[in-house]
Amino acid sequence: MPLRKNIKKPLPHVIENMEDWPIYRSYNNNEEFLEKVKDKVLQHLSWLNLGEENTFRKELKNIVYQEKIRLSKTPWKSDDPKEKIFWNEIKRQFKSVKDIDNKGDAEEFDLEILNKILDFYGKEMVANFKPSTFRFAQKALPYIYSRLINSFPQALYKIFSSTDMLYDRMKISGDLDHLRKLENMGTLIVVPTHYSNLDSPTIGLSLNNIGLSGFTYGAGINLFTIKSLSNFMHNIGAYKVDRRRKHKLYLETLKSYSTVALTEGVNSLFYPGGSRSQSGMLEEKLKLGLLGTALDAQRINLQDGNKKKIFIIPVTLNYHYVLEAKKLIENHLKNEGKEDYLEDENATPFGLIKRTYKVITSNPGMTVSFAPALDVFGNKVDEEGESISKIGNKVDIADYFKLNGSIIRDVQRDQQYTQILGERILKEFKENTVVLSSNLVAYVAFQIIRKRFNQFTVFETLSLPKDETIVSGIEFKIVLDRIRDRLKVLEEDKKIILSSDLDLPTEELMNVGIKKVGSSHPTYVLRKNKNGVISTRSMKLLYYYHNKLSSYGLDEYI
Amino acid sequence: MSKVGVIGTGNFGLALANLLAINKKQVLIFARREEIAEKLNKTREHKGQIINERVTASNDLEFIAKECKLLFPIVPSNNFESLLNQLSPFLTPEHILIHGTKGLHITADINEVKHLDKSQVLTMSELILKNTCVERVGCIAGPNLAKELAAEEIAGTVIASRYNDVIKEGKKALNSPVFNVYGSNEIKGVEIASILKNYIAIASGMLEGMGYGDNSKALLITRGMAEMVFFGKAFGASEKAFMGLAGIGDLMATCNSKLSRNFRVGYNLAKGIKVDETLNEIKEVAEGIKTIKVVKLLKSYGFNSPLADALYKIVYEDWDITKGLEYLMSLPVSDDIDFIK
Repeated sequence: MPLRKNIKKPLPHVIENMEDWPIYRSYNNNEEFLEKVKDKVLQHLSWLNLGEENTFRKELKNIVYQEKIRLSKTPWKSDDPKEKIFWNEIKRQFKSVKDIDNKGDAEEFDLEILNKILDFYGKEMVANFKPSTFRFAQKALPYIYSRLINSFPQALYKIFSSTDMLYDRMKISGDLDHLRKLENMGTLIVVPTHYSNLDSPTIGLSLNNIGLSGFTYGAGINLFTIKSLSNFMHNIGAYKVDRRRKHKLYLETLKSYSTVALTEGVNSLFYPGGSRSQSGMLEEKLKLGLLGTALDAQRINLQDGNKKKIFIIPVTLNYHYVLEAKKLIENHLKNEGKEDYLEDENATPFGLIKRTYKVITSNPGMTVSFAPALDVFGNKVDEEGESISKIGNKVDIADYFKLNGSIIRDVQRDQQYTQILGERILKEFKENTVVLSSNLVAYVAFQIIRKRFNQFTVFETLSLPKDETIVSGIEFKIVLDRIRDRLKVLEEDKKIILSSDLDLPTEELMNVGIKKVGSSHPTYVLRKNKNGVISTRSMKLLYYYHNKLSSYGLDEYI
Repeated sequence: MSKVGVIGTGNFGLALANLLAINKKQVLIFARREEIAEKLNKTREHKGQIINERVTASNDLEFIAKECKLLFPIVPSNNFESLLNQLSPFLTPEHILIHGTKGLHITADINEVKHLDKSQVLTMSELILKNTCVERVGCIAGPNLAKELAAEEIAGTVIASRYNDVIKEGKKALNSPVFNVYGSNEIKGVEIASILKNYIAIASGMLEGMGYGDNSKALLITRGMAEMVFFGKAFGASEKAFMGLAGIGDLMATCNSKLSRNFRVGYNLAKGIKVDETLNEIKEVAEGIKTIKVVKLLKSYGFNSPLADALYKIVYEDWDITKGLEYLMSLPVSDDIDFIK
């Protein structure tokens, strides 16, 4: 597979003219786009599960009730003050409904209310795409960095003032030529692993560097709180998602939004794992809601005779250092698993840029690894975008949707297909994870300590006194070699990817890894003293960085 | 209207073809040997069954796959992989495969290995998924003794699949006034139930051969089902499937019927006739014999299977049946309902 690594400067866009980008064409006419979203929701109302007990009216009233509760119990700065008025008005209309029912116009009334709610959600959600904002974004980061760097020592300024800085630190791997080719053949859905709040800027930069057209993605509505950031995000294709809303109508509107974007040919980005991995482990289970819209959109395209295929591109993001690792692992250990939004300090453009800057400049490197493209059934696709089944034959994807010769909409069937797609994405995540020296040394150190106290639970291991968590350099190197050998076997079987650091001699690999692992945390993750003894200041962080390799069955080689 | 395909001319395959045909379906049945296909088309009779006029035999898999989007592969587990390898090039994701094979595919040589890993043991639906591009897979299982089906006696079956459209299509093709088709999404459980009941039927045959009565058989069937549930849970199946037609239903039928091949193997063993002799006589596979060994080789997964253990000793270690029975009855007993929560 031809791999291109370390792009030194952004490649030209495959579709040169931004006005020709699907994201521009679709969002340039927001109203038409939103009408399509609304039609899609209204087309299949079966998801409301209306039974005799649960009338349509009751469901609508319940939605209004939930929305009002949300506004009063969990208010956010991002809440539009007009929203309260809107829901009150809907509530008021319900009160006068008896007369309407008596006139026999009940159904019409309900649909009118539903339409109003859908219009409201649509207007709140919809993204925009301004080529000028996008061009600004392309250029802004290096500019802002150089401004920031003025407060840094001159030596750093020299190192980082060049725009090459980003590309030196951000290694992009994968069959990028193929990805560029697929851009012309269909619609791309990029599905990355999710470790950090920095994933979005990282992936955004990578996609731009590869020369792909704009991607739309759902962003937490709270990120739109600050007006300047809101305008910026809004105009580069981010649509608003309010994660407090859990009711079916809202989720269905979101899904319809995504489906319409895809059928319109707009490249999309989903984090299929949902929130960030709190443990540092690879995703083990995916949230299939949005992923299902890929299936739906593909079926609609085929039924409409639209030959554009939908391609899924799993991407793994591999960092030596995750800024919020401490908080994530602590949350994980508390088993809170709560959705954790961007902290206040970062909810300003400056905060976000500062954070991006800090991670990129303080990070000894990151790797963005693009896996081979899949179709919506998880089959690999060849150079021409044709689907190749797991047994190696070409398949016509329309056949998956057919029953007795016709393409049929079947929600239950497509849920099963989505599950299969999810499993294939997880497999690609696993096989396209890039083992960095930092992951390896963290894994080795933690497992040596763990094995020493194998009767202890993980929690007990994490609370060991400091002098029990010391590892001798000799023991460390023996285990390091053993695990590296095993990783090489896995790489040969295409089960994982090794970074070039793993070719270093043992001593050097150990030193490089120790230096890089979580390099900018206030407390060091690993340190080697002059006698060659390795110690840690944070078992929790060590555990976090170790977890990246915890699903490869390496423990039996310790 | 699209035709329906049946692959395999064993007793169950033929009975199923007839059931489809009486349901007004045009059926193509695959016979591996050309002369069998010719004979079947000419004489309308095979293995003692009269073949419905809507059934046409062919030995051309490509033709059958092209004509039929709904296929019922019903071949012994030992031949299943080679069949799939022949069939696979002609299959597309539009095909629906509902198999009726009550056996396991083992990727290792069970006569050579000391134990098996889960990954080496596949149900037929898993084998279809592995070896073809077909995703919509199901299985048909239940108390379906071929000879009774052939006689068009009232019966029921279950079609299990994770896809509702597979169940729906299977039902549409098979449901008739004499044959009720139920649906289930618990395909793994249904497959495991229909596989494990085979060795319980062997044990039931043994009891009958030794002259034991209904109390003994009821004990066997009840604890046999518990054993099936233990095994099923260890392999990721839910206990639900074992309570249905493929579980308790099929157990009742095969453990009480001399028509069951597995039952006959056990019965003959009790009468001093070796397994091989019986198999030669009935000229069909008794899947239960292989299953006993497979269960033994999977013991490292820690499920409770005293019956399979005793049968292993009898079939593979030449233990006397009486000794095997004494062994079973000497084991400590647990709570009555220890297999479901």
